[in-house]
Amino acid sequence: MKKKILLFIAQNEWIKPAFGFLGLFILSITFSPISNKGTLIFLKLDNLTNILRQVSEIGIISVGMTLVILTSGIDLSVGSVLALSATMTAFGIMDWQLGFFFTILLALFTGVVAGFISGAITSWGKIQAFIATLSMMVAARGFALFIAGNNSRNIGFGNGAAPESFRIFTNTYLGIPFPVYIFIIITIIFAIMLNKMRLGRYFFAIGSNEEAAQLAGLRVKWIRTSAYVFSGLLAALAGIIHSAQLYQGNPNDGVGFELDAIAAVVIGGTSLSGGKGTLVGTFFGVLIIGILSNILGLHGVQKDFQLMIKGAIIVAAVLLQEQNFFKKGF
Amino acid sequence: MLEFKNISKQFSTVKVLHDISFSIDKGKLIALMGENGAGKSTLMKILCGVYPDFQGEVILKNNQVQFKNPRDAEHAGIAMIHQELNLIPDLSIAENIFLGKEPINSMGVIDSKTMLSKSDEILKEFDFPYSSRIKIKNIPVGWQQMVEIAKALQINAEIIVMDEPTSALSESEINILFEKINLLKEMGKTIIYISHRMKEIFTLADEVVVLRDGRFVGQELIDNVTNEKLIQMMIGHEIQDNSVEITKKYDKEILHIDNLNVIANNKSLLSDINFTLKKGEILGVAGLLGAGRTELLKYLFGELKGEAKGNVKYITNDYRPKSASDSIRMGIMYLSEDRKREGNFHDLSLVFNSSISILDRLSKFGFVNNQTEKKEVIQRFEKLNVKKSSILQKMNTLSGGNQQKVLLSRVLSTEPVLLMLDEPTRGIDVGAKEEIYNLINELSSAGMTIIVTSSEIPELMQVCHRVLVLSQGKQTALLKVEDTNPQEILHYAFMQE
Repeated sequence: MKKKILLFIAQNEWIKPAFGFLGLFILSITFSPISNKGTLIFLKLDNLTNILRQVSEIGIISVGMTLVILTSGIDLSVGSVLALSATMTAFGIMDWQLGFFFTILLALFTGVVAGFISGAITSWGKIQAFIATLSMMVAARGFALFIAGNNSRNIGFGNGAAPESFRIFTNTYLGIPFPVYIFIIITIIFAIMLNKMRLGRYFFAIGSNEEAAQLAGLRVKWIRTSAYVFSGLLAALAGIIHSAQLYQGNPNDGVGFELDAIAAVVIGGTSLSGGKGTLVGTFFGVLIIGILSNILGLHGVQKDFQLMIKGAIIVAAVLLQEQNFFKKGF
Repeated sequence: MLEFKNISKQFSTVKVLHDISFSIDKGKLIALMGENGAGKSTLMKILCGVYPDFQGEVILKNNQVQFKNPRDAEHAGIAMIHQELNLIPDLSIAENIFLGKEPINSMGVIDSKTMLSKSDEILKEFDFPYSSRIKIKNIPVGWQQMVEIAKALQINAEIIVMDEPTSALSESEINILFEKINLLKEMGKTIIYISHRMKEIFTLADEVVVLRDGRFVGQELIDNVTNEKLIQMMIGHEIQDNSVEITKKYDKEILHIDNLNVIANNKSLLSDINFTLKKGEILGVAGLLGAGRTELLKYLFGELKGEAKGNVKYITNDYRPKSASDSIRMGIMYLSEDRKREGNFHDLSLVFNSSISILDRLSKFGFVNNQTEKKEVIQRFEKLNVKKSSILQKMNTLSGGNQQKVLLSRVLSTEPVLLMLDEPTRGIDVGAKEEIYNLINELSSAGMTIIVTSSEIPELMQVCHRVLVLSQGKQTALLKVEDTNPQEILHYAFMQE
């Protein structure tokens, strides 16, 4: 029985991050500050939904990042693409009067193009993903600033401004903010893709052994590019949510989001060398980062200490992942 | 000198070694034999400290030892030379010999002078034709092997384990290696030699130890055994002689190559290639290492970058190989000689490894049909006799021979018209070799056209109808197997302009 459990843990890479999440959750309850009325502030519904809302943008980005990292790449441009998409959204709905549907389409399309360019440069230009997406990170930020004329664009409602339908992103349904639904649905859709669909297998194959994948008849270049396209698309989606929540498109937002996303993916057990990882793990990785920020924030820990603790947690999480039961065979 | 006492080893639930006991005298060359998965490598990894936990005792010079890591074992005078060389291409010979043990001067800086002079000393004993300043990547594989041996000498190893040292060497390089091995014996070194090649065993070994399925089968003086006896010990029963039966004659032309030349980076990779292949025919490609065997197959598969001149006709159409995925769709498939780099998805399951090339066929709307997939994979594994505990186990948990069978199941799953097998029996034991020959035979009878390469000429003569000989990328002969002999093939393989 014990063996079976260990085997189950070894074969399902998402279990460790899930335990990490549970452990942190319990710790947070134990150390939660207590309100005047004697309730645990951490466990209040407000607080929990707040955590989910706060992580939903990074969460959506992390899904795309997981795909890219599975193919043994990296996408540093997601933060800038988020800012570009947010800017596009604000200008689309306010200045260009594209309406709800076409504004969103335009923003998503921007992300797709950015992802395609990164992927194509990596695949056909044979430039390392780090460099290709670093360039895209700089260029996308520049393009966002160009469009916005270096200022942020506020979103207002009413005649000649944003339609009421745009409020969907800030609304709450059944007590849960709409972006949280998007985050969860996106995670489920892509988890199904990774596990059940051909393309998901191909991502694993490329990350595990690119040469072998090529000789097995996979169109490695197209498949890899598609991972970057998904990453760009999801970063753009997060950008739309971002602008809607802040009622503005700011070309300077999203700085450092790529690092948070990479951290979440790594905490979630996905290997940076590719070919190994799960989206469920990433999901828990995102929650771990969210809860951590939240509980530290509730205690009034300042940003400086938060960052230091975050750094330590990432290292600790990866160290735990490395301890592999059944390293050789089973 | 060295004794194994009741060694057992278990990987979680699977017991891979059972109660192995035998001993080895000083200065002897012991051949360790057995099929893939018999436990040779595991036993040697225990000896060399790679697997520190096991049951039983290893007794070295009357002391029980248990090495915690390979470094420990090296200190005790045990060195292992792996099948895949562990050299760093961009470092010099001397730097490789002293890797991790660099002499340091009083300033804490590497003392290159001592390092170079000591390396040269070791190399001199070996009649090494290269200076120890030369980078590893600039010397031939055969001599790289000698550098591994020099490494062993540098740490004053008394027991040297060699795991298939000849698998990547050409005939002439093997001869040089054998000279050096005899030199080591004269120095009084004890050598444990793992190889699948009978000829080598009979030339080199004093004694032979045979393992089968993780159990000790026997230890014999080499003079007391014959080829047949050894094979019988290894596989537990006798094998039938099965040379090629002349298969049904087909007339349909599958491949027609007319004066093919391939040039890349101003270097001629292939020249003057001319042959025609009919349906069901088996063509062997012979040649020394670097003669262009792999290049020819990879060109036809669309995975060799270069400028091609000449005509290739596949079935009825002109054929310009573009990419692996295109070729596979047209019914052309290739199995790489390099399992590790170009075949395996190490961390992924056997099913994944086996079905990756046919997911198009197994999918509907992009979703893979797991039931059909599983059924087909199990069917192929059974046909190929893959030894596994579960189809979900990871690829890197299988022995080399079984990995090869999984890869064969992958290439066969695409149901190719033209199948190209690059060294399909490299590093594989006798039993599995026989199985692969039989398979090639069977496929050819069923009408599949097959091109197969091998460094072992007798092997080619056993399995092929015709043999194409390459030398430095140039076709030097195309011979019918019944009209030729190994000497003639070798002659053409050595032919230079």
